[in-house]
Amino acid sequence: MLEVRIGRTAPAATAIAVPVAAGAPMPEQARAAAAVDGFTGAAGTLCDISTAQGRLLLVGTGDRPNLTEAGARAAAALLGVAHVALDAHALSPADAAAFAAGACLRAWRFDRLKTRPEPDAPKLAAIDLLTDTPDAVEAAWRTTSAGVRGALFARDLVAEPGNILTPQEFIERLAPLARHGVAIGVLGRPELKRQGLGALLAVGGGSVHPPALAVLRWKGRLRAPPVAFVGKGITFDTGGISIKPAAGMEAMRGDMAGAAACAGAIMALALRNSPAPAIAVLAIAENATGAASYRPGDVLRSFSGRTIEVIDTDAEGRLVLADALAWTARQHKPRAMIDLATLTGSIVTALGHHMAGLFDNDAALAARVAAAGRFCGELVWRMPIGEGHRRDLDSAIADLKHCLPERMQPDACHAAAFLREFAGTTPWVHLDIAGVAARATAEPAHAAGPTGFGVRLLDRLVAEHFETA
Amino acid sequence: MLDIAFAKTALPKSGALALLLEEGAAADSPTAALLAAADEATGGAVSRALAAAEFKGKRGQTVTVLAPGAGLSRVVAVGLGNLDGIEARHLEDAGGHVAVALAREAAGAISTAGLSGAQAANVAMGAVLRGYRFDRYRTTEKPEDKPKFAKATVLTGEVPKARDAWTSLKAVAEGVFLSRDLVSEPANVLTPAEMAERCRKLESLGLKVEVFGPKEMTKLGFGALMGVAMGSACEPRMVVMHWNGAGGAKGRAKPAKPLAFIGKGVTFDTGGISIKPAGGMEDMKWDMGGAGTVIGLMAALAGRRAKVDVVGLVGLVENMPSGTAQRPGDVVKTYSGQTVEVINTDAEGRLVLADVLWYCQQKFDPRFMVDLATLTGAMIIALGHEYAGFFSNDDALSQQLYDAGTASGEKVWRMPLAEAYDKQIKSDIADMKNVGGRPGGAITAAQFIQRFVNGKPWAHLDVAGMVWSSKDAPTIPKGATAFGVRLLDRMVAENYEG
Repeated sequence: MLEVRIGRTAPAATAIAVPVAAGAPMPEQARAAAAVDGFTGAAGTLCDISTAQGRLLLVGTGDRPNLTEAGARAAAALLGVAHVALDAHALSPADAAAFAAGACLRAWRFDRLKTRPEPDAPKLAAIDLLTDTPDAVEAAWRTTSAGVRGALFARDLVAEPGNILTPQEFIERLAPLARHGVAIGVLGRPELKRQGLGALLAVGGGSVHPPALAVLRWKGRLRAPPVAFVGKGITFDTGGISIKPAAGMEAMRGDMAGAAACAGAIMALALRNSPAPAIAVLAIAENATGAASYRPGDVLRSFSGRTIEVIDTDAEGRLVLADALAWTARQHKPRAMIDLATLTGSIVTALGHHMAGLFDNDAALAARVAAAGRFCGELVWRMPIGEGHRRDLDSAIADLKHCLPERMQPDACHAAAFLREFAGTTPWVHLDIAGVAARATAEPAHAAGPTGFGVRLLDRLVAEHFETA
Repeated sequence: MLDIAFAKTALPKSGALALLLEEGAAADSPTAALLAAADEATGGAVSRALAAAEFKGKRGQTVTVLAPGAGLSRVVAVGLGNLDGIEARHLEDAGGHVAVALAREAAGAISTAGLSGAQAANVAMGAVLRGYRFDRYRTTEKPEDKPKFAKATVLTGEVPKARDAWTSLKAVAEGVFLSRDLVSEPANVLTPAEMAERCRKLESLGLKVEVFGPKEMTKLGFGALMGVAMGSACEPRMVVMHWNGAGGAKGRAKPAKPLAFIGKGVTFDTGGISIKPAGGMEDMKWDMGGAGTVIGLMAALAGRRAKVDVVGLVGLVENMPSGTAQRPGDVVKTYSGQTVEVINTDAEGRLVLADVLWYCQQKFDPRFMVDLATLTGAMIIALGHEYAGFFSNDDALSQQLYDAGTASGEKVWRMPLAEAYDKQIKSDIADMKNVGGRPGGAITAAQFIQRFVNGKPWAHLDVAGMVWSSKDAPTIPKGATAFGVRLLDRMVAENYEG
């Protein structure tokens, strides 16, 4: 992550970014250049100027400033500069922190596996926030940076390939959270068998890497039941016996983005010492094709006791979530459960890459999640679970099927109807993040690769609604 | 259409009898009035049979008792569930179950004891709707294989109220049937010209009908619609139907701001040069389902003399591949002046709507425009056959649609519009492309259409998953559903009739 310093001066910075609202006055030395460039402070625009003091980047924030986005655009333009300053004198502490957050999120890169430095690799490493009220900005940054660090932690996990981030390695990577006060428990295969998580065991059964349920607990200070984040953590999804086509399958190293986001969210709560008790339950497995893989037609006995007829082994996410949701509800009786999963191609067809799909059994909770998402720029759109969607899953030999085999199915709705059976009466929201968990190409406001979608949304949700009893 | 008559509640002396019974009906429940009489006449045979079949009166439960005695050929019991909170659509469903149960009878009585006259009319509506059959192309079907149920006498304690309510509902049923007929017709029969002729016939209901042909549309500059049509040997049409009911029974004053409904009428969609795969292509005869709904709705509103001014526009084309068909990459100039790069000739519905919508808002300055189209496969992948997705720039209109959907049982669900999706249809050489990539396909289609509403209040219903059903439903037999006729009739009645 970028190093963020807060102070009155930034002697080491060789470029300075200055936010300019629509029609607002510009720094003296920039006026001539801005006029020639047609820069007026409109949102999304930049003006890059060379002055006697060094490089000056005007960052337009428009009429309704989004400082996170402005920070991201500024960082994108300044990736070649090692040390940058932000003139935050005209910004509120929250906005200054938002700008720094945007810069950190945009400047993130996954280059752990590169062994040679690349000639055009970004150099941006540090950002100084210039302010006359450093204490206030520090306090704002302490809160905001927790979510950013959680998001980058999640991105790092999602970016890792399947041979490196095996289920066991995923769990290893969670261990450092203990340093921040998070209690970590793991149910390995013998314990999953003992407790009867038959769906998770089946999905993970074809892999040489056994499945596991990882449980991260943040105690908080409030006397209240925890809020629970439940994540699909498929470290690699081949599809299983219903194997996927080869083209593009490498993307399936990211099929644990939901679980990563849940872990990142717990990390954020711990880093900012949230009073809210919270728990993240990660259903971790590799959906591999092998001699011991589960088969289409298999009937699984889930933790809840319900039997499930397997139709397509590539609809495995909802199976592991079925066990994780039912287990979380029974063992921890949370006040709310939010699951995140890169679940269906159907939701990508429905909502594209700009909004996650939200399904729920509780309209009030759904509204709160959506509002938290709007605040962070992690947009969700509420989708329905129709009576017919559930009826479609009726099975002749088990309690229910988990999907339909035919083409052109509303699979996101089917998956949600399925999951709802395992959420029971706990207020529950399901976020299908298949379309928003990663970006194919970098854009001015967004880095390429895993997005960490959900970490900041959950962090905000807890801050707004779960920090009182 | 099933013939409906209303009569006072009394036990028939012969023929078939359907009893609508509430859940857990005690012997003295008002809905059980005729059950008691039937038992008295048959020595308790009916109740015994119902008990043996464990009839509880739950919604959807149907039990048939054959030849119980007292001259009755059969007694059918249909459950109403809990009468508290029972709605029109539940009563319609019950009527539908009755129609199925009495299919082998030429006539029957339907008891609506314990229900109001208006509710009796709802039951009649359901029976009528379920009895729809499209069999005009059957020439060898034996009479004994055809459903016989042709006349229903609905027994009610409020005959005048029931008759009154039925007058309006019957007109809506006729609109539904018209829509189902149009969608069921194969494309060799229902060409754009033939479809326009069927619209003309609605002049007998008091609609003013204008028909535009290729010459007029070319002259106007309907470059997008004509581009879709140019590959077919069948000429396109645009039909504009006016219903001016706001001024009262004889009101013919020029409407100031009518409500506007616009329908995509692609009488057959091969995909054009971007041809579809063969498997399942026969379904594309219903690619005029949106237009079918608009036409049925106009018939319904006129038929019941709705007190509202409405204009209905349908763009009718056939999308064919040929030497004269438009090519992927072609750039067309729409009626609005905006240019479109046609990337995929199978995204043709939005091209047809583009010209018709702009014409509509230009010519009529409507209060709102609601368009219906069997537009995208993406919509089916999103919501399946449970809800039509809709997109709108107006929250109030959206709420009206949603509420009418819930009440009518023709459910709709709002989907998003946003700048990020609009960017996906950016073209390098024209004002926009006609596709935005696979992700969010229904949304980018809506973003395209939005560019042709000129900021007017508007909603777009993507009914691709809703106009045809592969299985029977209580009031909709397998086949064309006429989705949207009852939804929009309800929306107009609830919100726009003076």
